[in-house]
Amino acid sequence: MVRFRGLRNSAVEEIPNWQALRQYAHDVKAHALAHLDRYLQQLERQVTEAGGVVHWARDADEARSVITQLVKSSGRQVVKSKSMTTEEIELNDALEHAGCEVTETDLGEYLVQLAGEQPAHIIAPVVHKSKETIAALLSEKLGVPRYDDAQQLTMVAREVLRRRFLEADVGISGVNFAVAETGTVVVVENEGNARLTTTLPRTHIAVMGIEKLIPRLADLDVFLTLLPRSATGQRMSSYVSFLTGPRRAGEVDGPEQLHLVLLDNGRTAIHADSSMRESLACIRCGACLNVCPVFERTAGHAYGSVYSGPIGAVLTPLLQGLDVAGDLPFASSLCGACGEVCPVKIELPRLLLELRARVVRQQGAPVAERFFVWGWVNAMKSARRLAVAGKVARAVHRFTSAVRLPLPYPFSRWSASRELPRPPAKAFRERTS
Amino acid sequence: MTTAREEILTRLRQAADPAIPLPESSRPNAQSSDLVSLFIERATAVGTEIETASPVTLATAIINELTKTGVSRVAMWEDRLLTQVRAALRTTPLQVLDPWDHARDTVAGADAGITIADFAIALTGTLVLDCSPAHPRSTSLLPPVHIAVVPAAHIVASLGDVLTRTGPLPSALTFITGPSRTADIELTPVRGAHGPTRVKVFLLT
Repeated sequence: MVRFRGLRNSAVEEIPNWQALRQYAHDVKAHALAHLDRYLQQLERQVTEAGGVVHWARDADEARSVITQLVKSSGRQVVKSKSMTTEEIELNDALEHAGCEVTETDLGEYLVQLAGEQPAHIIAPVVHKSKETIAALLSEKLGVPRYDDAQQLTMVAREVLRRRFLEADVGISGVNFAVAETGTVVVVENEGNARLTTTLPRTHIAVMGIEKLIPRLADLDVFLTLLPRSATGQRMSSYVSFLTGPRRAGEVDGPEQLHLVLLDNGRTAIHADSSMRESLACIRCGACLNVCPVFERTAGHAYGSVYSGPIGAVLTPLLQGLDVAGDLPFASSLCGACGEVCPVKIELPRLLLELRARVVRQQGAPVAERFFVWGWVNAMKSARRLAVAGKVARAVHRFTSAVRLPLPYPFSRWSASRELPRPPAKAFRERTS
Repeated sequence: MTTAREEILTRLRQAADPAIPLPESSRPNAQSSDLVSLFIERATAVGTEIETASPVTLATAIINELTKTGVSRVAMWEDRLLTQVRAALRTTPLQVLDPWDHARDTVAGADAGITIADFAIALTGTLVLDCSPAHPRSTSLLPPVHIAVVPAAHIVASLGDVLTRTGPLPSALTFITGPSRTADIELTPVRGAHGPTRVKVFLLT
């Protein structure tokens, strides 16, 4: 992930007005979210006019049943390109239950699927697996030799997946942006599997959270500058597809049917929560994961959700409830790096703090913490009390360090792994007066 | 019972805020003095190969490229810019697939696909391909080599220039920046994950 960080920095430095573009993207998203009802209807009209069909789903269950119906009316061989939204609604299980054969075609996602696991990173799903593990996996599942370089391993997967593409009835993709003005679905990728998914099968089903909407086609100039540079440090991803409706009269390829599924699944609740709404501006670049010291040490699976890293620590409790995922906002050092890199300027540290406050209001804090905060608040309320508290602290510290006494329980839980900062001999105010 | 559509829209309407304005369009600042050399630099940086040609030498240059790399079957767009190339290819033993021959299995069996590019973006080294009955999508996708003919006059500075110049959108507008790639295995870059392993541009000057 450190590699992504370096590449991102040089790609960002090339754009002199990067900070202005972040603000612009933030403002466009804020506007789009504030008028989302209107823009979604415009999107629906434009998609319909271009020959596509729009479907609405309140929750994961409804989305799964809508998509399963659509798939079953087209066939049962399904190819998918990477989509976090379909992972969020656990679509693959539902489709397989309905008797469909589902193949993830992003190389990393394919390997994750072969291993029967969950992706570890938004952009690099198998970053947790070594080449040797992957070679063993492919050899075991496909009966090929244990190749030892990434090139050969990739070619093995390409060949298997190419056959799946040519046989598939339905292609399911995610959506990076949907343009209300033109009814265009934008898909960004490097491998070409999303192009194959949206070109070869008779039916294309695109699944998007309602927040992926962009008002104008012209806005893509900025969003497509921000996304690849923030995600992988590329100036542009290898492939960006602007898809407006299904294939037209006389065209020899492209899907005959295009379905766009608009998913709520908790998003309207976040939308109604004014201090949390900006989390819906996320364009899923993964930049906040790559700079996060907590993510760097825990990796994605520890978050227990499709969305990991700082944005996951905000979205997951909002989507699943504070009672289920209320510990995630505390998995942060509040260093602020996530807020600094976010290409749409989501104030992630503020959102994390606000969620922490909600958890404490809802579930209460431990007695020791409440006692300390009470003491702190009272000591800080007047200069005299602060001076007294300082004297007491210095005396206690002199005593404990003189006798090398461990702090008594429950303070020992804090001091066991930490050095108590040593107070100066004289308080600052005593020195200057 | 309300439908999902009504319910979602009603919830959103309740929280709508008409006071938040849509900002004026903005764009990335880009140095754009010599677009042709910037395009060559940026396209080369992502692994696109570039050869310059004139309208007179184009057909020969493409045939040389195809024979040099052992291509025997080539899929090809029908386009004014490719008329002479097609005529020249007919005089060789190479098998040419026209757009109406683009059944997916046959294109998948082609060794190279030849297209033009409506635009090329200098800032990112990107080719922009439209689609139509004469311009199938799979020509630049299924064969392992993609050859694109790009007139120098089609080079623009940024994506914004494409968006303001393009008319009504085709069913697919495809932006291609270098060969297909992945770095999924131990972050090792590999070319040719699913799409072409090579992208070769003939820059028409």
